[in-house]
Amino acid sequence: MDEWKPNPVVKPHKKRSWYLAWKYKLMNQRALRKLCQTGAVLFLLVTVIVNIKLILDTRRAAYEEEEESAQDYDDEMLNVEAPRHPVSNKKVLDVEVYSSRSKVYVAVDGTTVLEDEAREQGRGIHVIVLNQATGHVMAKRVFDTYSPHEDEAMVLFLNMIARGRILIFTIKDEGSFHLKDTAKNVLKSLGSQVAPFLSWRDMWTFVGKKGGEVYGEKHAKSPALSTWGDPVLLKTEVHLTSVEDAECHWPDTDVNPRRKRFCSKVEGYGSVCSCKDPTPIEFNPDPLKDNKVFDVPVAVIAGNRPNYLYRMLRSLLSAQGVNPQMITVFIDGYYEEPMDVVELFGLSGIQHTPISIKNARVSQHYKASLTATFNLFPDAKFAVVLEEDLDISVDFFSFLSQSIHLLEEDESLYCISAWNDQGYEHTAEDPSLLYRVETMPGLGWVLRKSLYKDELEPKWPTPEKLWDWDMWMRMPEQRKGRECIIPDISRSYHFGIVGLNMNGYFHEAYFKKHKFNTVPNVQLKNVESLRKDAYETEIHRLLGEAEVLDHSKNPCEDSFVPDTEGKVYVMFIRMEQEADFTTWTQLAKCLHIWDLDVRGNHKGLWRLFRKKNHFLVVGVPASPYSSKKPSSVTPIYMEPPAKEEGAVA
Amino acid sequence: NGAVFSKVRGSQSGQDSTRWHVVRKFLGLISSHNIPVYLIDPLILGLVGKDIEQIRSSPDGPSPECKYFCAPRDFTTFALLDKTWKHEVGLFRTAEKMGFQWLKIINKDPRLDGMDDLSGVEIPLHYIFKLASHAIHLVVFYERSGNYLWHGPLRLKQHMDRKFVPFRKLHFGRYPGAYVKPELLLVSIDDLKVQIPKNPSSFLEEMSHSRFLECRYREARAFFQLYPDDASPDAVEFRKKAKSLLHLAALTLDNLGVKFWLSSGTCLGWYRQCNVIPHSKDVDLGVFITDYKADIIPAFQKAGLPLKHKFGKVEDSLELSFQGEDDVKLDIFFFYEEDDHIWNGGTQAKSGKKFKYLFPKFTLCWTEFVELKVHVPCETLQYVEANYGPDWKVPVKTWDWKSSPSNVQYNGVWPVDEWDDVIQIF
Repeated sequence: MDEWKPNPVVKPHKKRSWYLAWKYKLMNQRALRKLCQTGAVLFLLVTVIVNIKLILDTRRAAYEEEEESAQDYDDEMLNVEAPRHPVSNKKVLDVEVYSSRSKVYVAVDGTTVLEDEAREQGRGIHVIVLNQATGHVMAKRVFDTYSPHEDEAMVLFLNMIARGRILIFTIKDEGSFHLKDTAKNVLKSLGSQVAPFLSWRDMWTFVGKKGGEVYGEKHAKSPALSTWGDPVLLKTEVHLTSVEDAECHWPDTDVNPRRKRFCSKVEGYGSVCSCKDPTPIEFNPDPLKDNKVFDVPVAVIAGNRPNYLYRMLRSLLSAQGVNPQMITVFIDGYYEEPMDVVELFGLSGIQHTPISIKNARVSQHYKASLTATFNLFPDAKFAVVLEEDLDISVDFFSFLSQSIHLLEEDESLYCISAWNDQGYEHTAEDPSLLYRVETMPGLGWVLRKSLYKDELEPKWPTPEKLWDWDMWMRMPEQRKGRECIIPDISRSYHFGIVGLNMNGYFHEAYFKKHKFNTVPNVQLKNVESLRKDAYETEIHRLLGEAEVLDHSKNPCEDSFVPDTEGKVYVMFIRMEQEADFTTWTQLAKCLHIWDLDVRGNHKGLWRLFRKKNHFLVVGVPASPYSSKKPSSVTPIYMEPPAKEEGAVA
Repeated sequence: NGAVFSKVRGSQSGQDSTRWHVVRKFLGLISSHNIPVYLIDPLILGLVGKDIEQIRSSPDGPSPECKYFCAPRDFTTFALLDKTWKHEVGLFRTAEKMGFQWLKIINKDPRLDGMDDLSGVEIPLHYIFKLASHAIHLVVFYERSGNYLWHGPLRLKQHMDRKFVPFRKLHFGRYPGAYVKPELLLVSIDDLKVQIPKNPSSFLEEMSHSRFLECRYREARAFFQLYPDDASPDAVEFRKKAKSLLHLAALTLDNLGVKFWLSSGTCLGWYRQCNVIPHSKDVDLGVFITDYKADIIPAFQKAGLPLKHKFGKVEDSLELSFQGEDDVKLDIFFFYEEDDHIWNGGTQAKSGKKFKYLFPKFTLCWTEFVELKVHVPCETLQYVEANYGPDWKVPVKTWDWKSSPSNVQYNGVWPVDEWDDVIQIF
């Protein structure tokens, strides 16, 4: 529950936080502790009595809180019609902010809106944004400014916040190590007097209005490198303004009520909530002539990454030929903010109670989303499946419109995907070119209803099987030798760097340099040659015209491929049988393409570009295309790194 | 021609012309927002049905009198296909400017009902636009899996104005309903251009038994909690075959115009678990003997389902069995209606023994099952309990059709000289 609702019945909460504050003070003040250690028996007795009382009271308070929250839940469930913004008639908010080494909390009118005492996480500066009229929490972020670059993200975030919002800051553990001057100046401009001097392991709390008054600031210096500043507790009052003052006065159009609602609720989306010149939330891209995918439902699979979802939906709704009525966003969990984003764009969203954990959870969410999609659009023969961390190319629907008939007519096809696993900046060149591959790339793809209904849905992995849905779909039992159609240059771009199987390093290495088509209306060539038999003819033609490269050279070197443009080259690598990818993997490694598993192959053949030349790799003798190898050429063999090395790595 | 017509209309009572005016305003409202609606008002369609030839032949001719839209009634009912409009808020703003008061009735989306733990946005099921003493009831139809249109029930929520209109007099909304997608015809009635079902009388006929039952998804989920579903390859395979057999059977019988419903194990599967019971070996359908047609057997044979056996005769205990793909069998039981009960018969091939299965009387409702719009007995619980007893909720793997059913009665033996006719095995 991110949202805080002004609650007239706050007594138990208030009591609790008062006691808690007292407790922390008692326990943490070293002087007092010292006194206790050396103090008289009488004093000890008093302390014991006080503590017993404290425990009893805290317990009672905890009980009361439990009851209260259970009631809240009931209310939510029963009273679906209740407005989400109860209007507070209260003019003043009591704000408490606590900063310490191991715990931070923020309470607004006695309700805890932030509480983080988890070990080894949540380090840095916590920021909370409140609506100045209602007191609602509009955004909650933590910037680990102990680590590099996080301060830049914080500056970016703070700059996006509308003037007049109430900002609350508190440090957990350490927040100064990589807090650069730019960031300190931004904090100073918000009215902080301490920020410019914040240093190692200082504790700090600050409450202020963006572009306005300061409500309070407290700071405790760290006395020595090895110790932390004393915990600080800031208690202050914030005067609420009228709702009128807190809102922009956008023109009264059909779409602006959505904007208004969104902007009064959440923060951190920049110019969409700008009063003067808000960025559009309706895009009306050019329609597509003879759009074959206009009636194909689009399922967007989302979690709780609302900023990603925002970026994703913007690009999706800007793509030519998009039909917003066919889009459904499936949110894995009862998260409000992703739903707010969906509603901002006037789309429909469905929430999914999380079942199971991690991979299995994602997998169950996929299943529910796909089933729901075909239920909601019973006429559909296909569904487009997208994820919240993808940019969608401007010609995404044009690409599908030109190729979807293949999926309908050619039973040897498994999917059409917008993503080429091997399509990096240096290995993809031709936006009009398509391939057939034996792997299933995902990341923006089309699923045939009959495949889902007749084959996948009935045997979809159950929750207790902790399988990745995409890995499962790639298994031979499911794929049954069928292939996917992919473009040479991807029509989606994977921008997510936080995710279940994702981190910054991984993203940098494997996704960042992926090529992404930005040319509109690309006319695909030779679509018909993608059919099963026609493709073989095409490959044979291609291999027939291909120039055999000099196999005495090192294939990893740039000079392996001549400095030409637009030619077709072929090389042969050793591949003893169908599953022997030893040399391929080494080659993929040195070419800096996907090497974590085998992707993009078609009968032992890989197609990519090097130096603007089409570059074919044939695995000999496993590939049926081995016959194209001149007898004089010895397939290249590349050894995997020695075992020990692998063990060390 | 409006002027001419208004003179004639002037002779009508104020009440009558109010209805016409409200309908005209409403049609103006929705056409200004490009929303295609069609008339489904039973009263007006009844009147229109009588004159349909004439109306068809003169699509533009001026009406001499206000014959249809002035007819006394509280409501005029229109249908709207959900997917043909974008839920623009502008419609309601315009409506208010025109003087309409409106009410929207929303409820949860049944298309997501069968799914674990999904919560969609609630969908609009009905709109009522009120102006002066007349109201327009706009029923929202949704396309559902099984190639049919569905409309929801009309249920008022607590805070709603119960006196907004006389809700009890509405023609739609007492129950949810299922319809085929109608072919539409643009006609001019009383000088108003409006879309109507191409064949009004068959639409009214369809309407009279359109009641729809949703599968009991919640109970089905509870059932699977107790008895986890069988996801073995065999079970998956059987379900797939049973589903395609049922689709083929439905197509065949629908083409013949023979009404049928899910019976026995197939009905139990629908009612208890919203799915085919994987350990059942066949698909069971019921047909009233009064709907029997001699074409049934050749039609199934033509569809690739050869007759496996035929027991009984049209006059008594008829039962047909067709051979589907691999071992899956299609059983069609014919039901005989008596004054206070309905029964179907069974025959033991080797002994010629007859059995009778008794059911309390029932009517038929539509439902959705394995992506198919099919009939089930509306009084399903009584039907299932008659057949399977009070413990129908507990799965049973061994089942003897002669002794297990709780409604079975011994019914004598076929005379030996009739055996060739009433016991035919192929």
